[in-house]
Formats: sequence, C-alpha cells, structure tokens
Amino acid sequence: MNRILLVARRDFLQIVSTRAFKITLLIVPLMLGLVSLGNALLRPPSTVAFVMADPGGRVAPVIAHRVELDYQRQVMRDLSDYAARWKLPPPIGDQAGYRTDDAAVERFIAQGGAGGALARMHPPAGAGAFKLPPPPYLRVAVPADVPVDRGAEAFGRAIAPYLANDIETEQGKRPLAVAVYIPARGPLRLWSNGRNDNGLIDTIQQERTRLLRMALLTANGVSSAAAAQIEKLEAPVAVSAPPAGSGRSQLMVRSFVPLALAYLLLTAVLITGGMMLQGVIEERSNRLLEAVLACVEPREFMVGKLVGLGAVGLTIVAAWIGCALLAAFFIDGAIANYLQPSLAALNQPWMIPVLAFYFFCGYLMLAMLYLTIGSLSNSMQDAQAYLMPVTMAVLLPVMLMVSAIIRNPSGLLPRVMSWIPLYTPFAMLARLGSGVTLVEILGTGLLLAIFVSLELLLLGRVFRASLLNTGQPPKLGAFLKLMLDR
Amino acid sequence: MTAVVLDGVVKRFGDFTAVDGLSFSVPEGGVFGFLGGNGAGKTTSVRMMLDILRPDSGSIAILGRAPSRANAPQLGFLPEERGLYRLMTVTDTVVYFGRLKGMTAADAVRSAGALIERLGLSQWARTTIDKLSKGMSQKVQLAAALVNAPRLLILDEPFSGLDPVNQGVLEEIVLEMARGGSTVIFSTHVMQHAERLSDRLLLLAHGRKVFEGTQAEARAQLPPRLRLTARADPAQLPGVASAVAAGMAENGWREWDVTLAPGRAPADLLQHCTASGFALRSFDLYRPSLHDVFLHLVGGGGR
Repeated sequence: MNRILLVARRDFLQIVSTRAFKITLLIVPLMLGLVSLGNALLRPPSTVAFVMADPGGRVAPVIAHRVELDYQRQVMRDLSDYAARWKLPPPIGDQAGYRTDDAAVERFIAQGGAGGALARMHPPAGAGAFKLPPPPYLRVAVPADVPVDRGAEAFGRAIAPYLANDIETEQGKRPLAVAVYIPARGPLRLWSNGRNDNGLIDTIQQERTRLLRMALLTANGVSSAAAAQIEKLEAPVAVSAPPAGSGRSQLMVRSFVPLALAYLLLTAVLITGGMMLQGVIEERSNRLLEAVLACVEPREFMVGKLVGLGAVGLTIVAAWIGCALLAAFFIDGAIANYLQPSLAALNQPWMIPVLAFYFFCGYLMLAMLYLTIGSLSNSMQDAQAYLMPVTMAVLLPVMLMVSAIIRNPSGLLPRVMSWIPLYTPFAMLARLGSGVTLVEILGTGLLLAIFVSLELLLLGRVFRASLLNTGQPPKLGAFLKLMLDR
Repeated sequence: MTAVVLDGVVKRFGDFTAVDGLSFSVPEGGVFGFLGGNGAGKTTSVRMMLDILRPDSGSIAILGRAPSRANAPQLGFLPEERGLYRLMTVTDTVVYFGRLKGMTAADAVRSAGALIERLGLSQWARTTIDKLSKGMSQKVQLAAALVNAPRLLILDEPFSGLDPVNQGVLEEIVLEMARGGSTVIFSTHVMQHAERLSDRLLLLAHGRKVFEGTQAEARAQLPPRLRLTARADPAQLPGVASAVAAGMAENGWREWDVTLAPGRAPADLLQHCTASGFALRSFDLYRPSLHDVFLHLVGGGGR
C-alpha cells in the first residue's frame, strides 16, 4: 500500500471509530425517521366530522353533495399529479385535472371515481401506489339524544358536549368540528368546536346562498331550470398547462436530487472539514508531524489526508443517500413521492458523471481550504479566526443562491454564480435538474478544474511550509509569500 | 562506507542562519554524538538529513544517497518533539510507522510485537496512547523508530523526559544497535550521555562545527591539568603553564593545581621531577570531562 493510502487509511479509520462519527452518520436518518414517526403519531387527524340537523330535509343533502364534490375534485387533482409524475393519461381523459367544473367531477364519480380512473390509467409496475387523500369532512348522523325538532337553541345546548370531544365516524373517532342547524326559516345556525374550520363553514354558506338565490330567482318568475343554469354559470377560462413531464412542478421533481446533492455537499464539507481541521491541529500540537514527515513527503501527507477525510465525507453522504433510497423504494410517504420520480428523472447518461464531477470538485476545493487552515493554526482558537470568514464566504451566498434557484433556476444570480469557481459546484448542482446548456457545463467545469488545480498547488505550498512552523499564524503578506514560494 | 556526509551545508530562516557551512562525516557503525547547546543547529541539521528541510547550499549524503523518503526503509528517527496519535493503540502506532517505512503488514506486525515485548509494553499493546504515561508513550515512539531495524538511527535529544531507569534502557538499546552494525547518531546537550555512548562526536555552536573527532581527541583540546603535592612551588618546572596552591601547607607539603602548556605531556613532567629530585608526595592526572571540553570550546555563549 503506498504512503498516501496509508495516511488516508489511518485518518479514515481513526475518525470512523469515534463516537462522534457514528452519531453524525445516524443523526440525519434518525431525525428524519423521528420527524416522520412524530408526524404520523402526533399529527391530529386531518379529517373532522360534522353534523347537520335539517328538519325541512331540503338543504342538508345539497350541502353534503357539495362537500362530496369538493372532495372528489381534490381526488382528481391528486390523480392528475400522480399521472403527470408517472407519465400516465389524465384521470378523466383530458388534461383539466387542475381546474374541473362540477360536471367533470360528476362524470368522474359516475365513471367509478379514483378506482375507475386508476383502472383506465394502467400505472406501470414501478410506479408507486396512488394514495387517496383523506376526506377533509365526514358527515355523521346527529346523535340520538340531540333533539332536531325543538328549535336551534335546544339543538345547540344538546350538541355542545359532543363538540368538546371526538365522535364515532366510519373512519373511527374524529373531532366533531361543526354542527349545523338549518331551520325552515331564518338564519342558519352553526356551532364550532373552537378550531375555526373556515373551509366547511364557507362551503355551507356558499351552498345556502346559492339556494337562496335560486329561490329568489324563481320567486321573481325565472323558471327553475333557468335559475339552476344561472347559478351554475361560470366565466369560461381556458387553462394552458405544460405537457406532462414539464412545467414548474416537474421542474421541482427533476431538481430534487441535484438540489439535495448541493445541500449534502455543503453539509458533508462542513462536518468533515471540521474533523480535518481538528486532525491537523492535533498533529501539529502533538508534535508528531516530524516523525511522520521523516517517512512521508508533505505532498503525500496532504493528499492522504484529502483522500482519507474525503472517504469519511463520502461514507456519510453514502449512508444518508442509502437511507433516502431505502425510504424512496421501501417506505411509502412524502420522501418516496418526491424521490422516486426525481431519481427517474436522472435519465440522461451524462447526468450522473456531471453530478459526480461537481460534487467531487466542490469537496476537494473546500476540504483543501480546511486543511490549509489546520496547517496554519496551533489551536482551534487560532483556526476560528480563519474559519469564520471562510465559512461565511461560502455559506451565506450559497444559501442565498439556492433559494434564488428554487424561485428561478435560470435567473441572473444563479447564472452568474455558476461561473464563480467557489460557488460553481453548488450553483451547477442545484441547477442541473432545471436544464443548463452544454456550454455552461463545459465552461464552468473547465474553470472549476483549473481553479481547484491552482488551489491545490498554491495552498499545498502553504500547507507544506506551515506544517512544522510554530508561533503565530502568518499575516496576509507572509501567507501570499508562502503561496508563491516554490 | 560513510553513513552520513554533510559538505558545506547552509540553512537560513529569513535573516537567521541556523546552519553555517557545516561539513562532517559519520562512519558507518558505532555511535556518533551530535553535541551543542540550545539553538546550535542540531535539530535543523537532523531535519535536513531526513529531507524534512532542504539546505540552501551544500550537499548531504545519507547512506550514499541524497536525502529523500526513499531512504526511510533504512532509517529510524526519534524526534525531539514527541507526540503520537492519541486514539491509536500501541501496536497500531508501531505498525503504522513500520508500514510508512515500507515494511509489509506482516513484517511490521511481527517486528512491532517483538519490540513492544522488549520494551515492556506487552500489557498495553491494545491500549490507546491517550491512556499511557509519558514514559510509556516515549517507549512507543522509540519502538516506532526501531521497528524497521534501521541501518541508520537518528535520535534527537533522546534522553529528555526519560527517568534514569528508562535512560538506561535506551542507552542499552543504542549500544546494542551499534554492536549490531547500525550507525546511531544522537543529538544532545547533556554531555554525560555523549561521554558514555559516543565513539566519535561533533560539537556545534551557532550553526558551525567547533570540533569533530573521538572523545580522546576532544579531551586533548584542553591543556593537561594535574594535582601535585609538593614542598616547592611547581610553577618553575619546565612545561608548567600555571600552578595554583590548592590548600594550606601541612608539614611543609602543599597541594597545587597545575596546568601544563599546550602540547606538553604529564609523563615528561613526572620524569623531570624524578630526575631532578623535585620532592613529590602525590601526582594525580585530572581527566577533563566533555563538559569541560564543551565549555572550553564553546564558552558560556554556546548554551
């Protein structure tokens, strides 16, 4: 085994055997798992129950139908998303899943709802299963001990205890959110459990208003059919949506893996950079470098450290990616919903090597900065003086840029930063999913490779000259001189 | 064959000249003492021999080759500044250095095991360095220097920080290495160690060579000194540079500290006293120590 690999192996083994490394390795999957578990266990159920007392028996069925139509509209939207992700035909035979009128929803229900649509869509074996959204509102029968024929006040008094608790529904116990009393005449009465559920209240109010308008129209001599037609009237809107596989939602899906890689790069560099820094400072303050340097060239020592600590970083990243893939392919949920199509979007043969190139160069570039800081510092306190400005110079623009990329990947800021080598890996990784030109890839890649090579050469000189130095770290002038000294 | 040759070596750090035109050679086999006060240029010279530093001018040959890491398989080095990887075990540390010096894993493990046993560290072989005492850590570092059975062993201030027992162990190892045909160079500013161990020595002051040769040659640098007990003042005897009364007269006899002129032998003086009837009750030859030689050659400024 050559000396570079021996140095790399020693550094790698020393770090992976520490408790801190094991905690680092587990912390992200553990946190994600805990958050998911916490969400699943502690999140209040999204479905709430409501009761309606309608002694006249005319309004409640209309409101219940409206609630059902709204829910089925949501099912259609989710099915449209699902179809777009897996490149399937739309759920009702056209592309209007995002904006459907009542007639389309009625047709969807008549054709078997979600079950019928899925049967027509023929999802391939690799596609994730479609998960029905939970209905937001479930109507339950008025409890037997609540009178419906003794007026609103009596109904309100009797229903009040039920509003404070859960009530039995077809999906198990759910909070009773709203109770409605619809008198034959006069205002509709509504009691809520205090958690304002405006969606349901608005729906009820809109339906009630619609019925009143129709009644007014017919009272004014308009035929029932014409009144109904007037009520259903909506200004025609032609919606042009991007074809399946493109558009903003698809852009986000395709960008998910590259964006995640940009964040992973940042996190891995910050974690292993800290370890690298600590390692070099320990070697310097322990005075053991002289014995090592009697056997190993400073250049070999530097490269060995970059390789060893790089392996540590890659191990962390690989473990996290492994957990994400596990979640994507074996666990249903939000992560799987995003990751599966995002991974499937990496279907260009050049994508993986280009991602790997930017990731590798980014890692090398920042790791070398940390290594040099370590070689200049006698203690972590010394290192902080260099570390803070360097970390800020990297971190803040990158965070700013990533949010700019999410808004518009081809905006001026991301495009400009793609050509600044310090930010190229982050900018290009984050933008790759949104489509960048070949010129940008080749140009920024070449510039980055030149920059990293120069960095290794110049900072390598500083590293070599500083290893055995004692005393105060060099000032800027001395630092520049070290870089230029052959 | 010579183990080490330095020829006109100069090393400067900015305006400071650490090593100034240094030339000397170390024959293969034996123990070579590299003596000098603090800041004399010993460590800088050692670092140049190991290619950790490069000379500004002059040339260096180590075992017949220019200094480089290619020599590492034949070199052992114990630096003055000691340190080890705190979280590595004793065995792993010694094996690691063996492998850095080009040993195979199996050879390094075998040699490390033998050395660890020899140095009384077997009980701590799987212990991490941070749990060892300072003395034990120093033994581990010595094992790391010896693991490849080096042809040339360079020890920079090897005795500093060691208790007398471990100093004895180290001296024994140094002598054993030399008996086995290795060359041992050790730098020190403690003359007693050099006196006990070195066959030849080099004395440095301010980066320059002050003396190179055997211990006897070093002592010959000082004018011979005697202590005589005589009735008369020996100052007038031929070859005597000075004579100082060392005590009160007792029954007419008095002790005198006598310094001979350079190049004059004590035996000649004794022969003259006997032949001329100069009354002597005692004639003791004072053997100068390396410490005396050092002070004589370097003076107080060399420390």
